[in-house]
Amino acid sequence: MSERQNNSTLVLLGVNHNTAPVDIRERLAIPAGRLADATRSLAHAPGIREGLILSTCNRVELITMQDSAGEAETPADLLRFLHEYFAVAPATIQPHLYEFREREAVRHLFRVASSLDSMVVGEPQILGQVKESYTVAREVGAIGGVKAGGAGYLDSLLQRAFTVAKKVRSETQIGSSSVSIASVAVDLARKIFGSLANKTVLLVGAGKMSELAVRHLVQHGAASILVANRTQARAEAIVAQLKAPGLTAEVIGFEELYEQAPRADIVITSTGAPQQLFGRSHGQHFISRRRGRPMFFIDIAVPRDVDPRLNEVDGCFVYDIDDLQQVAQANLADRSREAEQAESIITEEVARFQERLQTLDAVPAIKALQVQAEQVRQAELARAAKTLAGLTPAQREAVEGLTRALTNKLLHPQLVALRKPTDS
Amino acid sequence: MSLFWLRVAVLLYGIAALAVLPAALFDRRRWNLVAIPCTVAALFFHFVSLAETMNEAHHRLPVDTHETLSLLGLLLALAFLATYARYRTMSLGVFLLPIVFLLGLLPAFRPGEEIVSGNVHTGWVFLHIALLLAAYVALVVSLLASLLYLIEERRLKAKSLGAGGFRLPPLETLDKIALRSLLFGLPCMTAGLLIGSFLAQIAYGAAYFSDPKILLAFAMWLAYVAMIYIRRMNGLRGRRAVYLSSFVFLVILAVWASNQFSNVHRFTTP
Repeated sequence: MSERQNNSTLVLLGVNHNTAPVDIRERLAIPAGRLADATRSLAHAPGIREGLILSTCNRVELITMQDSAGEAETPADLLRFLHEYFAVAPATIQPHLYEFREREAVRHLFRVASSLDSMVVGEPQILGQVKESYTVAREVGAIGGVKAGGAGYLDSLLQRAFTVAKKVRSETQIGSSSVSIASVAVDLARKIFGSLANKTVLLVGAGKMSELAVRHLVQHGAASILVANRTQARAEAIVAQLKAPGLTAEVIGFEELYEQAPRADIVITSTGAPQQLFGRSHGQHFISRRRGRPMFFIDIAVPRDVDPRLNEVDGCFVYDIDDLQQVAQANLADRSREAEQAESIITEEVARFQERLQTLDAVPAIKALQVQAEQVRQAELARAAKTLAGLTPAQREAVEGLTRALTNKLLHPQLVALRKPTDS
Repeated sequence: MSLFWLRVAVLLYGIAALAVLPAALFDRRRWNLVAIPCTVAALFFHFVSLAETMNEAHHRLPVDTHETLSLLGLLLALAFLATYARYRTMSLGVFLLPIVFLLGLLPAFRPGEEIVSGNVHTGWVFLHIALLLAAYVALVVSLLASLLYLIEERRLKAKSLGAGGFRLPPLETLDKIALRSLLFGLPCMTAGLLIGSFLAQIAYGAAYFSDPKILLAFAMWLAYVAMIYIRRMNGLRGRRAVYLSSFVFLVILAVWASNQFSNVHRFTTP
């Protein structure tokens, strides 16, 4: 861990989905292509030693190490940076800003990296986004650069944040359950089939959500897609969109639907038809044709395309849009419970990080004290040199040892006090 | 010394049986690092103990009830490790490890005093016993997998998967475990019965085959084959698969119990 610069303060200033509406966030959002330039500008702002910008669709945060001398003006400086860089009036953004310093800033960053501050708690993207910001800041020299004296406090902080985020993920179940409809559908399919490799998906009808679910299933290994639509051209368009290497996608005629359906392990329906497409007897027929192999029906249509009684057929599993939503809600509740455990990990880690910093902060003082004590000891030995001249080498070594031990013992309480963390 | 190793093994099985609960039911994977090494170590000490016991008694096969139970426990623990290695699932351990622990308790703390009759000192008899026990273990594993299938199927149908429910392997994995363990058990049972019949033919002649225990054993084999045929042909899963496996399991229990009423197949003294 690098040594922290003296007379500097960690300040975090930002807006997020809780404090600012989207029209404010979008004005402050920095596209990936401009992040390096923005970070460089931040690092060159007056009073900033190190800086990093985290910009996602839900937050924009400036994390900085600043000269403590101008502490009173610190928020104004960052606000001025936001105003100048984004051309947004300070009065517009000020009501939505939050600011954290030192320990609270460390806590906030750990919470952000661990996805505890995300709109969907436990979502995995945020850690990648923090890492991306860190990489950019390093590349432009905004972290651990010349202004930071080559020793980056933010570098240590970010590295620690990554470790904490990893720990939260491995020691809690915060990210283990799905909370979007499409990913819940994939999860359920995996609970039935295990791996989705070599599985066939039948898409009946068209709709944004059903296509999204199909894409998710393909991403997780589904190997073959059948598309049935009353409009042949629409089915062909969907197949064309879905085409990917290693994926078989074919159009089947709507009149062949019941003949072809038993080929599918997963059926996604969203037709908008007024009457149900699949009834209980269809399920029995399909399962018999499949020699008992299960079938999973995902009914996204309203009104529903699949008779709920089909779920009673052995081997058939039917989930409509409400069922999927319910599972997503339950998973979200699970995540909230896990978040409590994650918060206590964060608290522990913040304390550990601060303690470590405290020790590192004391290193120069400890070194100085040790040097001074050694100089005094050497001076006293030199003064007594004449008196000690008649000593044998063994006796001289004993005196040397004695003075060193005395010095160390006298220094010990001061060194312990210096290393001891304080609440501040 | 063999008793000491067995007690060590039982203690380790006990630890593994506890550790498997958070690992399998709540997906706390760190507990795998306790359950699996403990089971491996227990299996090793169990094997050492069994080998020493049989060596000290100057025979090479489990001849009393305690030794047989001990060997059965060892095979069940092996089955748990095999399913873990192949399918990465700890769920079967929730049932198997406590059974193994209990099967080990009796021989570890109340060792058998039965004596062996003189005509069983052959490697063929050991093979006969080990193969039949392996077939029983395969059926137990299959029955457990079918039961877990039923539980997971009901949960999926009831849509009650969220809110901290227990985590079970996917249905397809459970189905594979159930069917493949049966397919593993069939040759074991067939070979075990053939070896037993061959040895009986030499020792007792045709009279052996009119014994109720022996007739039940062949009925068990037929039920086993019928079960595999029905499962494979009809793709039987869930509730019906559990009924079928339970029926064959009851037949096996009856065969085991009939040992006490047999006139010819009694190698342990009362």
